[in-house]
Amino acid sequence: MSRFFVLTLNGLTQGAIYAAMALALVLIWRATKVINFAQGAMAMFTTYLALFAIDHGAPYWLGFVIALLSGLLLGAIVERVIVRPVESAPPLNVVILTLGLLLFFEAIAPMAFGGQIRSFPPAFSIVGLHLGGSQVAFSPFDAFTLGSVVAVMILLLVLFQKTNLGLRMRASAFNPEVSRLLGIRVGRMLTLGWALASMVGALAGVLIAPTFLLYPTFMDQVLVYGFTGAVLGGLDSAMGAVIGGLLMGFALSYVGGYFGSDLETVGALVILIAVLMVRPRGLFSLQRLREV
Amino acid sequence: MLEVVDLTVAYGPVMALHGVSLTVADSSITTVLGANGAGKTTLVRTISGLVRPRSGSVRLDGRDITRLAPEEIARLGVAHVPQGQAVLAELTVDENLRLGGLWRRDPNGQRRALAEAYELFPPLASRRHLAAFSLSGGERQMLTIGRALVARSQVLLLDEPSLGLARLVLVQIMARIKTLVLERGLTVLLIEQNAKSALSVADQAMVLHLGKVVAQGAAHQLLTEEGLRHAYLGF
Ligand SMILES: Nc1ncnc2c1ncn2[C@@H]1O[C@H](COP(=O)(O)OP(=O)(O)OP(=O)(O)O)[C@@H](O)[C@H]1O
Ligand SMILES: [Mg+2]
Repeated sequence: MSRFFVLTLNGLTQGAIYAAMALALVLIWRATKVINFAQGAMAMFTTYLALFAIDHGAPYWLGFVIALLSGLLLGAIVERVIVRPVESAPPLNVVILTLGLLLFFEAIAPMAFGGQIRSFPPAFSIVGLHLGGSQVAFSPFDAFTLGSVVAVMILLLVLFQKTNLGLRMRASAFNPEVSRLLGIRVGRMLTLGWALASMVGALAGVLIAPTFLLYPTFMDQVLVYGFTGAVLGGLDSAMGAVIGGLLMGFALSYVGGYFGSDLETVGALVILIAVLMVRPRGLFSLQRLREV
Repeated sequence: MLEVVDLTVAYGPVMALHGVSLTVADSSITTVLGANGAGKTTLVRTISGLVRPRSGSVRLDGRDITRLAPEEIARLGVAHVPQGQAVLAELTVDENLRLGGLWRRDPNGQRRALAEAYELFPPLASRRHLAAFSLSGGERQMLTIGRALVARSQVLLLDEPSLGLARLVLVQIMARIKTLVLERGLTVLLIEQNAKSALSVADQAMVLHLGKVVAQGAAHQLLTEEGLRHAYLGF
């Protein structure tokens, strides 16, 4: 099988995970105009919780559900307890707070779960599928990764575009004051937004853990790539975040494959700078629309 | 019935309202007049909970709502049309309108109210699925008013609804509101720059000057008070 094809498939799977992380960041950005730098660390923590359950005899699926539900809960708690009290402060204060939270989670994880590198079981085989007699670089677990990211994205799309709850959430994000006058309980919508974002982040965590191995800082890279993808996509567009995340997956896979994996991180930076030079607002920002 | 009792509001050191009292009876229109900066917007923003008063209270049908959150006040049936075309620009016209009555959880009533709003504002009906930022200024104003009507609230606070609207459209809106006042007992607080036209539709009137009430009474009476008109209303 051609090198290019292998790298493309690899990029697709990795990209799906970066897309999930990018989407999580964009959901929070749109709701509160804050970049949650603790998004990765929170996902690391929920992945450890899943592993903890699996270590104690829980089946993989229970661990998976625990990761998602604890992500939901953790997001809600962080919004209520940490972000809400400083809601009216300048956004930069909240951003610094999320950086503090990042350090906090990365400090307590080794205390709670031990600092050593752990392997995380995949849901399905990570050995490439056999198709027509030859092995391809696409495993059942890759298919599961891709499928669950797509499923979550479709669910979110339906929630935001087709339900009244989603309409209320979008209104609250765009204009809290007007939303309040329309009887929308904006505070609850923000909590729910953080919860959902954190759940999507937690999904990225459990999906990447089998490939990356689990240690307290294992999500840092995913956060950086997801953030880059989100900025590429314009930061305020969910669709842009998904496409930006996928582009990051492809680009990093090609850079790593053709120029060596040492250059992956530099590659991410080069892509970001190049795109922002050509399109300062990212590829799909809504703001451009509003100005014309 | 909406009552404002001895309301005092300050923005830091700037006093915006000094001991303002006002009663708006059910099924009536009360207009609040005054020059720019008189405190009219501050008054309605305090009623709907967006601004916290220094002292005094706001009561709705006898219930003290002074310290309630804006969303809870809206859910008690107070619809506020803010000054200056406050549409949710990123959402479609239809979504904006639907949001007006979503809190009622009454899909059938909402459908009817939505149809009525489109009937009242045909330009909105033909732009139903466009994002609100693509509307003209007047159309946006129609949208904020339509959205408040969809809420079918008991109390309607209108902060300069005439802004950007053609005369004919304004006449239609006021006719519609008059009907709602007579048929459904709607209680209206109307803020207007054009004192003459406001006084002609209102039952009661109040004139604010630098945060203080300088005149209060039946609208037709204020209309005939020569001195008052010259001093504060400019016609
Ligand atoms: N957010 C604010 N912060 C500080 N001062 C404010 C604020 N809003 C209003 N003011 C001041 O309060 C006073 C009353 O303002 P308000 O907006 O209530 O006037 P208004 O009667 O609605 O005027 P207009 O006819 O121009 O809309 C003004 O002196 C204004 O400068
Ligand atoms: Mg005003």
